[in-house]
Amino acid sequence: MQNKRVCIDVGGTFTDCLVMDESGLLQKFKASTTPRDPSIGLMDAMKKAARFYKLDVKEFLGQIEILVHGTTLATNILLTGRGAKAGMITTKGFRDSIEIRRGIKPIDVSLYNVFIPPSEPLIPRWRRIGVEERTRYNGDIQTPLNEQEVRDAITSLKQKENIESVAICFLHSYINPAHERRAADICREVAPDVFVSTSHETLPVWREFERFNTTAVGVYVGPAVARYLTNLEEVLKQSGFRGTFLMMLANGLVQNIAECIRHPVFLLHSGPAAAPSGAVYLGKHLNEENLLSVDMGGTSFDICLVDKGEIPTTTEHWENDQRVAIKMVDIASIGAGGGSIANIDALGLLRVGPASAGADPGPACYGRGTDATVTDANLILGYVPADYFLGGEMQIDVKASHKAVAPLAKHLGTDEKGAAESIFRTVNANMANKITEVSTKRGYDVRNTVMIAGGGGGAIHAGFIADMLGIKKVVVPPVAALYSAFGMFAMDIGQDYARSFVGRVTNIDLDALNRVYEEMEAEAAKSFRVHGIDPESITLKRTADMRYVGQYHEVEADMPNGKLGREAIDAAADFFAKKHEEHNTFAMPWKAVEILTLRLKASTPNASFTLPEVKQAGADASAALKRRRVCRFGGADVDTPVYDGEKMLADNVISGPAIIEETTTTVVVPDAYVCSVDKYKNYVLTRN
Amino acid sequence: MMSNVNIDPTTVATVWHSMQTICKEMRHIVKRTAQNYLIGELQDLSVGIWGADGSTIAVPVGLANQHLGTTFAVKELVKMFEGNIHPGDVFLTNDPYHGGHNTHLPDWGYIRPIFYKDELLFFTLCRGHQMDTGGSFPGGYFPNAYDIHAEGLIIPPIKVFERGKERKDLVNLILCNVRFPDGVRVDLHAMIGSTTMCEKRMLALLDMYGRDVVLASIEEMIRRTELAVREEIRKMPDGIYTGASATDDDGTTLDEPVWVRARIIVKGDEMTIDLSESDAQRKGFINCTESVTYGIAVAAAILYFDPALADYHNQGTMTPIKVISPLGSVVNCEYPATVGASPVNVGCQIMEAVVEALAKALPHRAIACWGKHRGDYLFAVDPRTGERYVRTCFDYDGSAGAVAGYDGYQAVSTLTALGAAHRDNVEEMELRVPWRALQWEFVPDLSGNGRWRGGPGIHWEALNEGSDGQMATGSSDGDVVQGVGALGGEPTPLSRTYLRRNGEDIRVKPHRLVPVKERDILVKHSAGGGGVGKPEERDPQMVADDLRKEFITAETARNVYKVAVDPVTFEVDEKGTKALRADK
Repeated sequence: MQNKRVCIDVGGTFTDCLVMDESGLLQKFKASTTPRDPSIGLMDAMKKAARFYKLDVKEFLGQIEILVHGTTLATNILLTGRGAKAGMITTKGFRDSIEIRRGIKPIDVSLYNVFIPPSEPLIPRWRRIGVEERTRYNGDIQTPLNEQEVRDAITSLKQKENIESVAICFLHSYINPAHERRAADICREVAPDVFVSTSHETLPVWREFERFNTTAVGVYVGPAVARYLTNLEEVLKQSGFRGTFLMMLANGLVQNIAECIRHPVFLLHSGPAAAPSGAVYLGKHLNEENLLSVDMGGTSFDICLVDKGEIPTTTEHWENDQRVAIKMVDIASIGAGGGSIANIDALGLLRVGPASAGADPGPACYGRGTDATVTDANLILGYVPADYFLGGEMQIDVKASHKAVAPLAKHLGTDEKGAAESIFRTVNANMANKITEVSTKRGYDVRNTVMIAGGGGGAIHAGFIADMLGIKKVVVPPVAALYSAFGMFAMDIGQDYARSFVGRVTNIDLDALNRVYEEMEAEAAKSFRVHGIDPESITLKRTADMRYVGQYHEVEADMPNGKLGREAIDAAADFFAKKHEEHNTFAMPWKAVEILTLRLKASTPNASFTLPEVKQAGADASAALKRRRVCRFGGADVDTPVYDGEKMLADNVISGPAIIEETTTTVVVPDAYVCSVDKYKNYVLTRN
Repeated sequence: MMSNVNIDPTTVATVWHSMQTICKEMRHIVKRTAQNYLIGELQDLSVGIWGADGSTIAVPVGLANQHLGTTFAVKELVKMFEGNIHPGDVFLTNDPYHGGHNTHLPDWGYIRPIFYKDELLFFTLCRGHQMDTGGSFPGGYFPNAYDIHAEGLIIPPIKVFERGKERKDLVNLILCNVRFPDGVRVDLHAMIGSTTMCEKRMLALLDMYGRDVVLASIEEMIRRTELAVREEIRKMPDGIYTGASATDDDGTTLDEPVWVRARIIVKGDEMTIDLSESDAQRKGFINCTESVTYGIAVAAAILYFDPALADYHNQGTMTPIKVISPLGSVVNCEYPATVGASPVNVGCQIMEAVVEALAKALPHRAIACWGKHRGDYLFAVDPRTGERYVRTCFDYDGSAGAVAGYDGYQAVSTLTALGAAHRDNVEEMELRVPWRALQWEFVPDLSGNGRWRGGPGIHWEALNEGSDGQMATGSSDGDVVQGVGALGGEPTPLSRTYLRRNGEDIRVKPHRLVPVKERDILVKHSAGGGGVGKPEERDPQMVADDLRKEFITAETARNVYKVAVDPVTFEVDEKGTKALRADK
């Protein structure tokens, strides 16, 4: 009987596994990630789960109806530079587009730092070959494709360079993909074992650097992604898995394995991109729709601002200095996590991050490294229990933390606790700053949002960050430490589509516009049908990228479904103007508006689920009081009550300062907040 | 300001970081909303925050010539409008003279005072290159102008917004005197919008930490920066170091190079950049005003300080550095001298002269010159719409020069811009203007060889599918002069521009105004950066890689680098290389 649903998120340090069984209860399991072959860690987590249900692995897997999987694999390949040997076949005369990279220096490097190594494109120059062909800006063919040159190019790339994958990238292919299609056919015929990807399939939108580089990222991560997924599918099948296997994508949707292998670039951020879905899901239960989702892990702090229940997306992302222009969940990230290293900078000031001690060596208290990290500071401040780290599963060394912080304390002219507090405040300020940056950019007042805090460290810092920003309400879900995995439960199955379509709003060709939307919808329906999903069940959401004539950047505006007439287009243009003003402080009603790209999101909801509820009790939480411990708050040592999270019940109320110890996380309630437990066992921190 | 507030280092760093972030967001707003190619896409734009006294507080994004010398403009503004500066005011100026302290007329700067509880605390600036500023030729790069009045409309510091209200008649006067007024108006909103955001964010910061803490934090940051920069200068051996750089000509007196000469005196923890021996101001449009010279000279010196300080620079950086530029010279010209080309010429020459001199002081941080700017302004009609257009870009500039330790970064534009200006996409260009790109690639042997090689040179060609028009090459340089390498590295090679008409290449020199015909092919052959260190000391493996990348030819590998490489496998022939290198 298939009655379980499982979400597995393979992160850098831990593999998180959430199981929802027939009773609707969520069970949490964590295993160590095995970087060499992540499927081992994944199966370890499955084994833990099976053991919990007193089943053998085969039986357990046999009971899984849907398995959703998020993985940092693609992101890690980019980060570590261990991608495929890839080639590129491109328009003759333009093979350097991804190396010229629009003249952009690494985006995090100051103008005044010229001591940086030159860029290393993912596909080196000698594996980029130009062939004779040219399409014009309007789709007309200027020069026909020289098929012999394509044959020669792929033959040479295969024989001389032994490439694993190839990107076909021609100018203006977004408007007329004929040459790219033909060249791809030739490559598949000549080199059937090479992974072939075209730029118009990856991202059928104008601007060649962005499109070509995104395609290059795809062919760079593609072969490893395909190997991993094919292998994992096989392992699962052999172990008795018979259910539906879905991958979590960058755009906040889930998709089947075959589609993922065709579009590997969408696996970037698989995992973190799920977190906002979890926030929205919780928001529905809390009756809140303006949410600030934060996720603090070992190395990074991820932020997503959800407005009216809508998860924002972006096409302007850089991943580790590689431009990736697909539509992705708009998650802003800074290097602030439990492993972030504290040091003294060139001006004698304390800096925390972005460098991280990661999982290995990890914070000094893990006993392997000597760098002072945020986790060490949290330990010294008394927030994190030395004897109950991961529910007591992990031994840690407080003395090592003190030793690591000592030199910083000396430099700052304070004691170790004082230095730890500086580290804590600095990293909180960094995170608060990033949140302000995100909210300003999107024109929102962050004080009107509810913060949903996840990740291993989220519940420790969230209250303090919220305090700095004037946020009145913070929610820490019981699944905080497995936040992304939780988000995967709440995701829809689907796909994004986009087509370039350039024209002024005032004299747009309505028939052509309707046709493009209809084509994308037909394509979506076909894709869903192939995967056994009834096209009737899909939700279609249309948008269009617009700008004032002459501008260089677009704003995405909503478009209604169905046959569009004049009024609908005008309404969309008004929507655009409003959004423009929200984001940029002004609108320009006297300017003509033009459309650049039409977009469609086709999705169907994943099976629904409800959150389990806990028993109600009164406000008095004294039954859960575990012990008292001295913690440092605002420069003073405070004898602080520590509660056992396992014993907390609905309606319990605790005033800050207080600590709640859960097995997978610790909640710190600052002075200015009161913590109450709701019926879903969420910890709700409300500002006094 | 005040200094008797007790603040901890964490607060200092936090306040500081917030202000840096605000500047980055300002640029983001302009980038997202502007319609002018130069500021919307290429980021020919600068923003920053200054104190009420003109002290430089935050300048993380922008071009040195546009904003590092803004302290001059703010000080002057405070004097000129004493008693008449109010919340909600926005000032505009593009004037190099009359208290504007601007670079050249196309750079329009919007300055907004920031008041907190009725007290003037800060100024913010957003300055960017407009698509037009009136004058004899679109774009402001008009060679052979009689005086600055021929270069465009001169706007001394004036209020375009007074207490939050637009002075419509005045704005109308201005817009009536530029081409493409509709477009310039969009950019006016984009740029002022960014200063509005800055004000809002600064007020929130003041609310959060309080006036005294914010001011004290800034003061502390400036103090610490000054100490660190003094320490950097102290590490340079005391002495006098010289450098010199020329531009091809001044656009009026043709084919006669114009020189900037730097004499840098390092003594203890102070540095004087003396440019007194530079040529006298010229009739042609290559003259720089004092504030521009100042900003560029300081930027050049900053490159030699510890890169770990790169994120911080402020007034504290400037205090230990003195810049001498005598009135009446090309580095401090007098009204009514023309200045149209000054960001490139002699702006780049100032940078190069200082960079060359300091390489002698700090060989382990030597920096070679970058490829010269090869820009132009093209003015014609797009037959698809019947509308006039201006086309300009950084697409066909070369690359960065090498530094001690690294090869030059590929395809970043010009030493004065330090890569702040970006390039376009072919697909965007072809949609916007009636030109079809034929080639845009790196070419071999078009950069300075060295132990660390200059970034590669670029070949670019496009066909004019539109009307006849005019092209001004005022923003280019480097047909005659070369940027020097360092420590025995080669200089940047020479560059060329041609118009290919009926199969014949017609050479176009920098600083000229020439007609362009239908179906002309514009050909740009632009040199990359200079090298650092002797070529024959380059790691042979890196030479083999360069050959494989076709950044150099087999002849260069053999004759210049003295490395033997197998032309098929690209493996280094160790024995052959040893022989070649011993041979010397």
